[in-house]
Amino acid sequence: MAFLGQGSNSLLRITPILKRVAPGIASTCVKNASKDANQIRTDLALLMPEEVEQRKKLEGYITVDDKTDISPVTGVPEEHVKERLVRIYMPPKNAMQSGTNNLGHWEIDFETRQRWENPLMGWCSTGDPLSNMKVQFQSKNDAISFCEKNGWQWFIQESKLEKSVKPKSYGINFSWNKRTRTSTK
Amino acid sequence: MLRSTLSKVLNGSKLSPNLVCVTFRASSDVAKKPEKIEVFIDDQPVLVDPGTTVLQAAAQVGVEIPRFCYHERLAVAGNCRMCLVEVEKSPKPVAACAMPVMKGWRIKTNSDMTKKAREGVMEFLLVNHPLDCPICDQGGECDLQDQSMAFGSDRSRFTDIQFSGKRAVEDKDLGPLIKTVMTRCIHCTRCIRFASEVAGIDDLGTTGRGSDMQIGTYVEKFFMSELSGNVIDLCPVGALTSKPYSFTARPWEIRKIDSIDVFDAVGSNIVVSTRTNEVLRILPRTNEEINEEWLADKSRFAYDGLKRQRLITPMLRDNKNQLTPVDWEAALLTVGKVLQQAGPNVAAIAGGMADAETLVAVKDLLNRLGSELTCTEHVFPMDGSGTDLRSSYLLNNKISGVEEADAVLLIGTNPRFEAPLLNSRLRKTYLHNEAEIAVIGPKVDLTYDYHHLGTSAKAINDVANGSSPFSKVLKNAKKPLVIIGADLLKRSDGAAILSAAQSLAAQATNKPEGWKVLNVLHKVASQVAALDIGYTPGVDKIREAKPKVLFLIGADEGAINKEDLPSDCFIIYQGHHGDQGACIADAILPGAAYTEKQATYVNTEGRAQQTLVAVSPPGQAKEDWKIVRAVSEIIGMKLPYDDINEIRSRLNEVAPHLIRYGDVEGANYFKQASQLLQEKKSVDDSPIDVKIKDLQDYFMTDAISRASPTMAKCVQAVLKQKESKY
Amino acid sequence: MAGSLMKFTSLKKSNINGIFAAIASNGQIHFYSTPPPGTPPPQTKTKFGPLADEDRIFTNLYGKHDWRLKGSLKRGDWYKTKEILLKGSDWIINEVKTSGLRGRGGAGFPSGMKWSFMNKPGDGRPKYLVVNADEGEPGTCKDREIMRHDPHKLVEGCLIAGRAMGAKAAYIYIRGEFYNEASNMQVAIAEAYQAGFLGKNACGSGYDFDVFMHRGAGAYICGEETALIESIEGKQGKPRLKPPFPADVGVFGCPTTVTNVETVAVAPTICRRGGAWFASFGRTRNSGTKLFNISGHVNTPCTVEEEMSIPLKELIEIHAGGVIGGWDNLLAIIPGGSSTPLIPKNVCDDVLMDFDGLVAAQTSLGTAAVIVMNKQTDVVKAIARLIMFYKHESCGQCTPCREGINWMNKIMYRFVDGNAKPDEIDMIWELSKQIEGHTICALGDGAAWPVQGLIRHFRPELERRMEEFNKKKVSSSN
Repeated sequence: MAFLGQGSNSLLRITPILKRVAPGIASTCVKNASKDANQIRTDLALLMPEEVEQRKKLEGYITVDDKTDISPVTGVPEEHVKERLVRIYMPPKNAMQSGTNNLGHWEIDFETRQRWENPLMGWCSTGDPLSNMKVQFQSKNDAISFCEKNGWQWFIQESKLEKSVKPKSYGINFSWNKRTRTSTK
Repeated sequence: MLRSTLSKVLNGSKLSPNLVCVTFRASSDVAKKPEKIEVFIDDQPVLVDPGTTVLQAAAQVGVEIPRFCYHERLAVAGNCRMCLVEVEKSPKPVAACAMPVMKGWRIKTNSDMTKKAREGVMEFLLVNHPLDCPICDQGGECDLQDQSMAFGSDRSRFTDIQFSGKRAVEDKDLGPLIKTVMTRCIHCTRCIRFASEVAGIDDLGTTGRGSDMQIGTYVEKFFMSELSGNVIDLCPVGALTSKPYSFTARPWEIRKIDSIDVFDAVGSNIVVSTRTNEVLRILPRTNEEINEEWLADKSRFAYDGLKRQRLITPMLRDNKNQLTPVDWEAALLTVGKVLQQAGPNVAAIAGGMADAETLVAVKDLLNRLGSELTCTEHVFPMDGSGTDLRSSYLLNNKISGVEEADAVLLIGTNPRFEAPLLNSRLRKTYLHNEAEIAVIGPKVDLTYDYHHLGTSAKAINDVANGSSPFSKVLKNAKKPLVIIGADLLKRSDGAAILSAAQSLAAQATNKPEGWKVLNVLHKVASQVAALDIGYTPGVDKIREAKPKVLFLIGADEGAINKEDLPSDCFIIYQGHHGDQGACIADAILPGAAYTEKQATYVNTEGRAQQTLVAVSPPGQAKEDWKIVRAVSEIIGMKLPYDDINEIRSRLNEVAPHLIRYGDVEGANYFKQASQLLQEKKSVDDSPIDVKIKDLQDYFMTDAISRASPTMAKCVQAVLKQKESKY
Repeated sequence: MAGSLMKFTSLKKSNINGIFAAIASNGQIHFYSTPPPGTPPPQTKTKFGPLADEDRIFTNLYGKHDWRLKGSLKRGDWYKTKEILLKGSDWIINEVKTSGLRGRGGAGFPSGMKWSFMNKPGDGRPKYLVVNADEGEPGTCKDREIMRHDPHKLVEGCLIAGRAMGAKAAYIYIRGEFYNEASNMQVAIAEAYQAGFLGKNACGSGYDFDVFMHRGAGAYICGEETALIESIEGKQGKPRLKPPFPADVGVFGCPTTVTNVETVAVAPTICRRGGAWFASFGRTRNSGTKLFNISGHVNTPCTVEEEMSIPLKELIEIHAGGVIGGWDNLLAIIPGGSSTPLIPKNVCDDVLMDFDGLVAAQTSLGTAAVIVMNKQTDVVKAIARLIMFYKHESCGQCTPCREGINWMNKIMYRFVDGNAKPDEIDMIWELSKQIEGHTICALGDGAAWPVQGLIRHFRPELERRMEEFNKKKVSSSN
C-alpha cells in the first residue's frame, strides 16, 4: 500500500490492473487516495457524457424488474420444471454432533422420488437427476428468487431453532435448596 | 434425601418446603433485572447478562469453543477441559463452560495458550481412545474426530503404544436399544447427566477412579427409560451407539429428510435417514417449541415396523372369506360399486395416524355421498360446545409453555408414556422452576415427585372447591396448568370432568395475560386435525346408524368390531399395516406410512406440521388422499383436487391454520366453552385410570410399533429387567 | 529491632498496644501507626530456629502426656475460651490476620483473609467450618500427631475458628485409615460436649456450635477441599470447579471454609498469646511456627514443631540427627510432601524452609514434609513411584489428570530402566506442562511437579540410564 501512495500518477496506472486482479485492494486504494485531492481520471476525462453513462451501466449489476423465467433456456426437461416441488429450509444441526459451523445458511432440495438398490453393485440408483442437487444460499429470499427463476414451485420450511440464552451456572449443581442439585456423577 | 432434610431443618415444620419457595419466587420476580456487562471475545465486545459463562458469551458473537462434556441442555460438568480458553491476565486457562464472565474480561479463544491447552487435552483424550474409526458407527459424525482434526496436533507422539497397550473396558449391556463400546468412552458424563436430569432415571454413573474410571450402571441393569435413545445422540464419541442401526450405514451415504413424528400427539420434529428406499434410522431435529432436541424411544426406534406387516397390494375378501391380492383397478371398482349402492349409508373412522389431507378427502367424499358419519377412533365429549371451540380440546398453553409453569395438575394422564417429551418438559419445570405437580389418577412413576390427590374423579371437585391442600397452591400459582388426558374424557361423565376442569382453570386469577390454564393432552397424532376438520369424536354414532359401508382410515384400535355392525356391512380398510383393522376388512386399499407421504399433522397444541416423502411406499401402496380421490372419480363424484397444492387449498378452506405449518393457531373462548358446558351430570366416583402405566406398555401402542421387532425386544427387556433383583 | 520484637512476646497484650503507640511516635517507622491487620512487619530477624520450648504450641506432640481433657486443660487448652469467643469474630479474625498465619495444608493462603470471606451478610443459609484431616500426602504426618496426641487443640480451634466465621457447625473430615486418631478425636469431642465446651451455649459464651466427625474412605483426592465437600455430602469425592468457591457454595450448598487441621489447631494459641507473638517467628509473610515432618534417609525421622524459615540443613541436623552417611551423602530433598519438586543437595545447603524461600528454589513448602534422599536412592524410581501414587489416586474426572498421569506413569517406569529415547525427556516435560494448570483441582499439578523437579535437576542421570540401556540392548542383539 505504501508504495502505491507515492504519486497519484503511478497509482492511476496501477489501479485498472489491480481492479482486474483484486477488486478489493483497488477500491481501498482509490478511497485512500481520494482523501488528498480530486483526481482526474485520464480514462474517463476524454469520453463523451453518453459514453460515460454507458460505461457506468456496464460496470454495475443490471437490474431487471420483470420476473425472469430461465427454465425455457436451461434445458431442464419440462417435467422437471413443472412437477418439482422445492423445499427451502435451514439445515438443522445434526443431533449426533455438537458443532455448528456448517449451519446458518439456507438450502434448497427437491422432493424425494423413488430410489432403489442397483442389483449389479448394490449401489443406490434413482431416476431423478435433481435428487442430488442441494444449493446453499445466504438468505431465504435468494433461494426463493432462484426457484422462481427456474420455474420451480417452492415452499419454505421454517424451524424454531433459536433459543433464548439463559445463563448456565455450575453452582446450581450444588445448590442447597433447589432440585437442580445433582446426586450422581 | 439431603434436600428434604435440609428444608425440613429450615422450615422447622411439616409444611411443604415448596410452598415457601413459591412465595420466595414471587418476590424475586419483582427484583430489577441486573445490568448487562461487557466482555471482549477475541477483541469483539459483547454485552451479556451477569452470570453468563464464557462459552455462552462467545457463542453470542458466533465464536464456537470446542467442548465435549458441555451440553446446553444439561448441567455443567466442566470435566473434559476441552473448552479451556485464555483470559487476559489470568495465569491459567479457564474452563469456558463453567466460568462466569467478569466485567471487562478479554477472552482469547485463539491465542497460543488456548491452542496449546486444546491440543494437550486432545492428545490426552486420544491416548486411550481406540483408533477404530473404520469400524465405529460414530465415524463421520463424531465430535472427537472432528475436533481432533480441528484442534488436535498434526502428529502423534504416543510412543508408549510400543510398550503397552491402550485401556480396554468391558462393554455394558444397556438394553436392546443402546450398543456400548466402552473402550471408546472419553468420560464426558453427558449420558449420566442426561439420565439423571432429563430422563429422571438415576441409574448411570461412574465407578472406579483415575484411568480405571468407567461409565455404567454398576450392577448389570438395562437403561430403562422412554428417552434412552437420546444418550446415543449425546455421546460425542462412539461409546454409545444405536443397536438397531449398528453397522448399517455411514452418515455420508444416507439421505436425510426432515419430517414429523406421529407416534404421539407431540409432533416431534425428526430427520429420517434413508438409503435405497429404506428408512435406516430416525433422529430428532431441533425444535425449541416442541421436542427441543430429544426424541422418545418409540419415535426413534419403531421405524423397523415400517418394513414389516405392510399392506403392499390391494386386497378383496373372496368367496372363501379369504383376503386375496387384486390389482388396483379391481379393488377400486369393487369399492366404487359398494359405495354407489350404499348411498348415504356410509361411515368412516379415522385412526391415530391419519393425515389431514386424507381426513378432508374422506370427509368430502362422504359428504358428497350424503353422509355425515365421519368419526375418530378416539373419543371426546360432545356435550356443550363439544369440539366446536378448539380451546376445549387443545394443549392450549403450548408445550414450551409447560417450562414456565409453577403449579401443574395432571388429571387422568400419564404424560411419561403418552407424551414423553411433554413429560421431560414437566420434569424440567419441576427441576428448574421448583414447580409443584399434582396428579389425580393412578399412582405412576413420572420421574419426578408429585402430590397424589387421589384416584377418584371426585378429587377434581375437591381441588375446585378448596378442600384439597393443592387448591391453595394452584390458586396462588402465577402460572398454573391443568392438563387432562384425552382418554379420561371418554368416560360417561367425561363432560362433567371437563367442565370441572374448566371451572378449576377459571379460578386461577393472578396468571399473566395470555397464559392458558386448561390443557388437553391427546394421545394420537391425527386427533386434533380430525376434530379441526369436523370429525365426530367417538364411534357411538356409527353403532347407532348401522352403516352399509364402513371406511376405516388406519383405524386399528378396535374401537368397533364386526358385532357392532350389520352383517352385510362392507368394511374398507385403508392403511399401511395389516393390523386389527385389516383383519375385519372386506377390501384393503394399501396406503402410505408417515415416512412415505407429504402430509399434514396437527399436534396436541394445534400446531400444523408436515411430513415429507423420505421413501416411496412399498409395493403398490399409494398416498392415502390419492386413493380417496381415485375412488371419488370412479363413483362419479370427483373431488376437485389433483395435486398436493390443490388439496391443501381445500384444507385452507376448511381451516386455514391447517396449512400454516410450524405455527400454533391458538384457541380462545375459554369462558364461553365453560358456560356452554355447565355441569349437567356430576362427576361420578369411579376411579380414574390411565391405559399405559408401565414402561412395557409404552413400546407397542399402534400399528407400526406393534409390527416392530425392536419394540418387541424392548418389551421383553423390560419384563426381564423386572425379574432381575436390581 | 529483632530483639525488641522478641521482647514484645514476653509482655502482656495491654502493654503491646502501648509499645506500638510508642513506636508510632517515633517518626522513623510511622507507617506502623495504623497497622491494618495482616500487614507484614518489615523483615528484621536474620536467625530462625531453633524454637524455644516455651514457644511451642503443640506441647504434647509426642504423646508423652495425657491427651484427654484433663491433660489438655493442664497444658492450657480451653483456657479462657469463653473470653476469646466473647471478643467476637472481628477480633479473632484480626488477631489471625496480625499473626500472618498462612494455611498449613499446602497452598499457604493467608488464613485471616480466608476466614473473613465468610463474614459476608448471610442469606439464611447456615455456614460451616470443615476441617481437612484427610492427611494423605506421602511424607506428611503432622495432622495425625495433633489428632492423636492433642485432639483438644483441634476441638477448641474448631470452636474459635467457627466463631470467627460465624459457622453453625464444624465437620472434621478425617482420613479413613486414621483409626486411632479418629477414635481419640471422637473421645475429645465427646469430652468437650460433656464439659459444656461445645453444643448449645458453647463454653457459656451464648454461642451454639457443634463438631462432627466424618471418616473418609481412603481416597487421597478427598483431601482436596471441594472433593472433601462432595465426600461429606455422600457423593464420590470428585473435585468441583471453582468458582463457585466453597465460601459461597460449599458443603450442602452453604458457605463453607475448609482449613487444615494445623491451621485450626494453632488458632486458640494465637488468640491467647496474640497474633504479634505468632508473627514474631519466621520471616515476614511466612510467620509462625510449623510442624515439620522429616522422613527418609535421616538418622531420626521425626515430626517437630519449629520456627518457620529455619534453614533446611539446620532442621535436619538438629532434629533428625542428620542425613544418613553425613550431609555430603545427601542426594536430594523433597521439601514439602510428595507433590513438591525435589531440590538437589546444592540447593538444600542454604534454602530456608518457608513459603517464599522454597518458591525461590522452584519448589514449594507444601505441608512441610521433608523427604530426605541420600545417595543410595534411585531417584528416578522414587519419583516414578510417586507418579504411580498419583495415577492411582487421580479421581478420573477431568481429562488431563486421568489420561496424562497414567501416561506419565508409563513413561517414568521406562525411564527407571532407561528404556526410552532422550527426546522423550522433553516430551514428558511437555506432558507435565500440559497437565499442570489444566485440571480441575491441584492433583494434576501435584503429579506434574515431581517429574518437572526430576528433569530440572537430574536430566543427566536420565540420559545416562538411557545410554546404558541402549548399549546393553545393542550388545545383547549382537
